[in-house]
Amino acid sequence: MMGVQPARSTDTAVEAVSVKGLTKIFKSGLTKRPFVAVSDLSLTVKAGEVYGLIGPNGSGKSTTMKVILGLLAPTAGETRIFGLDSKEVVSRREVGFLPENPYFYKHLTGLETLLFYGRLCGLSGAKLRDRAAEMLALTDLEDAAGRRVGGFSKGMLQRLGLAQALIHEPRLVVLDEPTAGVDPAGSRKIRDLILNFRERGLTVLVTSHLLEQMQEVCDRVGIMAHGVMVKEGRLEDLIAVENQTELVLENVDEALLGRIREMVAASGDGARVVRMGSPRTTLERLFLESTDEGGKGAK
Amino acid sequence: MEAEMKNGGGTFSVSRVWTMAMATVTQLVRMRILVFLVVLSVIVVAAGFMFPVFSAEQQLKMLKYVSFGALQFFSLVMAIVATALLLPKDIEDRTLYTILSKPVPRVEYLMGKFFGVMFLIGGGLVIMDVLLCGVLHFRQTLVLAQELAFLKQGHATAEELAVEAARIEAQGLGWNLQIGVLAVFLKAGVVTALALMISCFASSTLFTVITTFCLCIIGQGQELIREFFFHRTLDAAGEKIASGLFAVLVPDLRLFDVIDRVVAGNSVAGGAALFMTGAGLLYMTGYLVVAHLLFVEKEL
Repeated sequence: MMGVQPARSTDTAVEAVSVKGLTKIFKSGLTKRPFVAVSDLSLTVKAGEVYGLIGPNGSGKSTTMKVILGLLAPTAGETRIFGLDSKEVVSRREVGFLPENPYFYKHLTGLETLLFYGRLCGLSGAKLRDRAAEMLALTDLEDAAGRRVGGFSKGMLQRLGLAQALIHEPRLVVLDEPTAGVDPAGSRKIRDLILNFRERGLTVLVTSHLLEQMQEVCDRVGIMAHGVMVKEGRLEDLIAVENQTELVLENVDEALLGRIREMVAASGDGARVVRMGSPRTTLERLFLESTDEGGKGAK
Repeated sequence: MEAEMKNGGGTFSVSRVWTMAMATVTQLVRMRILVFLVVLSVIVVAAGFMFPVFSAEQQLKMLKYVSFGALQFFSLVMAIVATALLLPKDIEDRTLYTILSKPVPRVEYLMGKFFGVMFLIGGGLVIMDVLLCGVLHFRQTLVLAQELAFLKQGHATAEELAVEAARIEAQGLGWNLQIGVLAVFLKAGVVTALALMISCFASSTLFTVITTFCLCIIGQGQELIREFFFHRTLDAAGEKIASGLFAVLVPDLRLFDVIDRVVAGNSVAGGAALFMTGAGLLYMTGYLVVAHLLFVEKEL
């Protein structure tokens, strides 16, 4: 999909995002008590990795993202993007942001929207037009280039959001609930794009409620609750069941399965077969295959 | 990429302000605001043919009076309503997030919005001004010919004809008219900057519209208010300070009311026009600076 561009080198030693001791307290009204949205949060996203920030509604994920992007000022602590303080406008030069349920100027067409955001990033002329066309192709919005954004579906808006986030070739992509309200096919396209970003060495910071999808794309995850980080680490380490081993076999008859069971039982040391049976497909895969969207989505 | 990214953040960029301004103009134009302009333009043209029973002089005065009313109505409604819509709508629609997450300083966003509204008001005023001048010139030529023909029938002397012609021409096309249009534009600029400043802390479009509208009314009667509240209750120094503070907080919109003189056919002195321009620019700069200070601290 993005093969026209060379993959960037990934220097994993560089911190794409660094959050240190971040606290954000909202003070609203004279009678209301201050609300602590984020408390003493620290996290690091290394260049080239896909980092997932997950947590229930109101856990402070979006607030953290807004502080990282300079849309909110921290009450305490600091956030940096590629070493630059988030409060500095220049730190946003290398960032592409897709907010949750993005809305754009309804009066602009898809192409005009991309040209507008491209110009804000300092692009112009043929380079901008080429880049906008490339982004429309990347997000399958070529047919909608001349249509007003007001008539776009939710999935199209989300893809346009991705296109505008990528228009200036950022090194860091921040995605806030990128698949919210998108159907499974659209959701899969977005997942594939994230995987593509990783292949190209882009850094991705993503939040989502769809944990299964996060599991598919993230290198590391942080789990937030009540404004604090409750767990953080490499996904493989976090989800591995340490005392179990998975073995998937193909074209095996019942006799062989019986022998395996006997071998395990005979080995002693408390070893036992926990489960044996046909692996199940996911509901997402079943949906995509049934609706013939799988082929398109996987392209 | 590096070359194109030279304005990618950090320093002030005129091209980003221009991009924001053009997007604002497109937004307002596609909201069918031009229909409003067309209706008011029709009024300007129609005013040229409205008052046939009046004297030649009165016909031209009424044409200018109605036309300047339309110009003021257009510019003030645009200044208040369009400006009040912009910022809250961008916040509500979260368009602001995608814009400010790009390397766009908040001051550039605000200036883009301000200049966008001003371009639209300026463009609308130019169209209506051209129409007004055309209709006024046409009516002036017509009534002058009719009046002179009538006087000639009554055997008026050449001197009498010249006096009548000068009287009618004084009400016709002249540079004074353009000073009047400039006054309308400057007044709209001050109100736009004021509305933008209010929308930086207002919680809704309605609040911005009502507050700006009230301040416009107060600004129009500022002299009376100063006279009534400060002159009787304070000593000379106190009155001066209080009046100064009041003039800073609420724009003195009477400064731009040279239209009555223009409609009456009286000339506006160059010094007065310069003072009006200076005061207008000062008010706009002041309100935009305060708007920036409020907006830069705004939590989104």
